[in-house]
Amino acid sequence: MLENGFILRHPLGKLTGCESEEILPEGGFGAVMARAGVGKTALLIQLAIHSLLCNKNVLHMSLNDPVKKVGLWYKEVYRNIASQYSIADQEQIFENMLPHRFIMTFEVEGFSVPKLEERLTDLMEQNIFRPHVIFIDGLPFDESQIEPLSDLKAFVKNHSLKAWLTVRIHRDEKPDLDCIQAQLNSVEDLFETIILIQPEGKEIYLKALKGGKPDSVATGLSLDPTTMLIKESDWIKRT
Amino acid sequence: MKHDIFKVRNIGISAHIDSGKTTLTERILFYTKRIHAIHDVKGKDGIGATMDSMELEKERGITIASAATFCEWLDHEINIIDTPGHVDFTIEVERSLRVLDGAILVLCSVGGVQSQSITVDQQMKRYKVPCIAFINKCDRSGANPDRVIKQLREKLGHNSVAIQIPIGLEADFNGVVDLLSMKAFYFDGKNGEIFRTEDIPAELLQEAVKKREELIEAASVFSDELTDAILEEKEITESMIVTALRSGTLSRKLTPVILGSAYKNKGVQPLLDAVTKLLPCPHDTENEALDMDNDEAPVILTADPKKPMVALAFKLEEGQYGQLTYIRVYQGSLAKGDAIVNVRTGRKVKVGRLVRMHASQMEEIESIPAGYIGALFGIDCASGDTFVSPGLSYTLTSMYVPKPVISLAIAAKDSKSEVNMSKALNRFTKEDPTFKTYVSDETGDTIISGMGELHLDVYIERMRREYNAEVTSGVPKVAYRETITRKAEFNYTHRKQTGGSGQYGRIAGYIEPAEEEFIFDNKVKGGAIPTQYIPACEKGFKNCLAKGPKMEFPVTGIKITIDDGASHSVDSSDMAFQAAARGAFLEGYSKAKPVIHEPIMKVVAETPTEFQGTVMGSLNQRRGIIFGTQDEGTMCVIEAQVPLAEMFGYSTILRSLTQGKAQFTMEFATYKQVPQSVAEELMKKAAEDKKGSQKK
Ligand SMILES: Nc1nc2c(ncn2[C@@H]2O[C@H](COP(=O)(O)OP(=O)(O)O)[C@@H](O)[C@H]2O)c(=O)[nH]1
Ligand SMILES: [Mg+2]
Repeated sequence: MLENGFILRHPLGKLTGCESEEILPEGGFGAVMARAGVGKTALLIQLAIHSLLCNKNVLHMSLNDPVKKVGLWYKEVYRNIASQYSIADQEQIFENMLPHRFIMTFEVEGFSVPKLEERLTDLMEQNIFRPHVIFIDGLPFDESQIEPLSDLKAFVKNHSLKAWLTVRIHRDEKPDLDCIQAQLNSVEDLFETIILIQPEGKEIYLKALKGGKPDSVATGLSLDPTTMLIKESDWIKRT
Repeated sequence: MKHDIFKVRNIGISAHIDSGKTTLTERILFYTKRIHAIHDVKGKDGIGATMDSMELEKERGITIASAATFCEWLDHEINIIDTPGHVDFTIEVERSLRVLDGAILVLCSVGGVQSQSITVDQQMKRYKVPCIAFINKCDRSGANPDRVIKQLREKLGHNSVAIQIPIGLEADFNGVVDLLSMKAFYFDGKNGEIFRTEDIPAELLQEAVKKREELIEAASVFSDELTDAILEEKEITESMIVTALRSGTLSRKLTPVILGSAYKNKGVQPLLDAVTKLLPCPHDTENEALDMDNDEAPVILTADPKKPMVALAFKLEEGQYGQLTYIRVYQGSLAKGDAIVNVRTGRKVKVGRLVRMHASQMEEIESIPAGYIGALFGIDCASGDTFVSPGLSYTLTSMYVPKPVISLAIAAKDSKSEVNMSKALNRFTKEDPTFKTYVSDETGDTIISGMGELHLDVYIERMRREYNAEVTSGVPKVAYRETITRKAEFNYTHRKQTGGSGQYGRIAGYIEPAEEEFIFDNKVKGGAIPTQYIPACEKGFKNCLAKGPKMEFPVTGIKITIDDGASHSVDSSDMAFQAAARGAFLEGYSKAKPVIHEPIMKVVAETPTEFQGTVMGSLNQRRGIIFGTQDEGTMCVIEAQVPLAEMFGYSTILRSLTQGKAQFTMEFATYKQVPQSVAEELMKKAAEDKKGSQKK
């Protein structure tokens, strides 16, 4: 999508050691974890924009926000990225992305994996849209969800997709790693990669709880609190 | 319903995406005891009793979706008007800004002033809406309200003044020190509903005193009483400061800043206090209407309930209770049973049920006096219509008018129809600024143009029914445009020697894409083109815009800069430079990669889920980009952008695809470049048309 002269690396490359979209295997699940209001959506959309820039088709599913708001999110995050990396012809590139993105929103109660499957089949059969990666924002993660999640995983695998999901940590929980670990236990096996957004003082760090380089908890990446963009990771580079 | 206009507040909440507008609105409705009601009433799954604030959030949508929600605080009546927010320039936003008197600008304490805050702020500036700022999310790590206050000054040019300081920040954010009363405020209880006032903690006292001085100094600019008190070292009362702050706020010369965390239930009650103390009541703002009987001369409306009534229908809502029309009365009073006139259509209607919307239910009311907001049932009108008492002919909406995107040739069937048609057209163009009519230079046909096929159909139908004018109409034509996509230079000499005096002029410069329709910039130095000929150059360029060189569509979005040229003492003239400009334009234009743009419509289709695949397929076939689908139980909403050229006759098709069960709305969204293959088709067709018309 970008003109020649740019090299794209994965925004989470420094954490996971993998610089390409292959950060998740086929059928793989990645999690973006944080407490409410810390910036899961913004990070998720950064990953989605990276995929779009890599010419992948992105299906964005949201269980919180209406289509319009999700659309605005993309615009905002993209604008920030484009100005940070001084991408010329910003608007045009954004316009070009739109046909490669599909937003689907559900009410939390109304969502089910069979429904998603039905919708997606509809889209693919008519050649309207065929995703490569799915981004899911706002799916609740409690005990009752384990089965649907496994179904989702199977679905993603069957269609040779991969998925990134946001996971909200309970606000009462202390943000220490053990507690989070405890919350994750029930679903941890489903995920190949787990990224935690963790505010510490004035900084917001990203840590790979799973799927990271061995030293990644120590090194960490940080987020710019203003734009919620990943700092110090020049994932778009000019040659 | 009590009617004390000084205690009415019509406010909007504007925010950057995700800074907490929804959460804040929810908390406001909670503290004003509006949301509680909904759970008591519905008792949804017994959540009512145990619901915590997170779950409350899930309830959003139903609770605060209305265009205007009413609540009460400290004996004040507050209408919260939904400002469609975040979006760029749309008529909907403009309309909602028009009906509010004041606003809360919500900012995130970490993110601060972001790009959308800038857009929102500009809109408020345009409508001169006084505002107070609420710095939300003070509990987040990285919270830095001081920085945000500074950004308000530097990025938005607000004279922002804190009226509070935080007690702790980030995870330790516990409350605020109020600099007006010099007290500390805490928010106890499960949902922060218990408001506790204490002495200022010792360690903050010094800072509070210092900040209070700054506040008083900033406020004193707006009050002689306060200035005198300072000079004479008299006691400064809270009410003195409030009066001064209020006056600064109303004139938009000062922006009071309040701190809090909606999510953690902190600081919302003082914000509401500030709304009542510092934001305007309907009396404080001046509203203007245009008198249609007097050449649209502006008239000032007064919020006097005894004068003839003037009201604006600012939003239509198809709700669970049927069609609701939200209305703000600016002058006079609107009561049940009144006869009122829709200024646009000239039609008289009788006011049936009147209601006021609360978060959870609606309340039947008898009348809506000036300054108030309410809703009407079962009134047929368009959003943006003005209603008046019979006899008046005022309109409130001569706002932004988008250019027509579609046109149609019409012809009267006989001479009687001809007369009636022109009467009708005359009337329609007055009523509706987006409807235009003119006679084509080329064909002599009468052309009507507007915002969509349906828009024009409605008027043709009205000509028949109301004016007895039988008209035939041609094929609708899309309003294509031409523009360029890159910068190109020109250097053109116009030279002609015909017998006696000749013509000479040289113009050099460049042409480039621009946001505006047309910009002309003269950078010629040292009189290379004598100043007297510059207007002729500009005129020459302008004359080229009506019919673009590529396909004879109007040219928009270009900037022309001239920076050099030459003249001849005898042979140069206005004529010569106009001709030179034409040559220069053609030379530059052809090198600047010209393209065709077409109008793109935002299409929103609502269909039973069983047909959603079919409907998407039909939009997709029409070169549509489907942005997404919103699942709402049995119904599904599909949002797409589709070129207008592909949407002709879509309503019939949609009906037959879905057994009449789906609906769609369509409005102009933007202009976009026509894909190459379609452009080629257009060229081919234009060439054929040309041949055809030459044969005739
Ligand atoms: N930490 C924190 N999070 C908040 C606060 N207010 C809102 N949020 C969170 O920010 C996100 C966006 O809030 P929302 O009210 O939907 O924002 P909107 O887009 O402006 O309507 C949600 O996850 C909220 O829970 C706050 O005061 N503090
Ligand atoms: Mg969110």
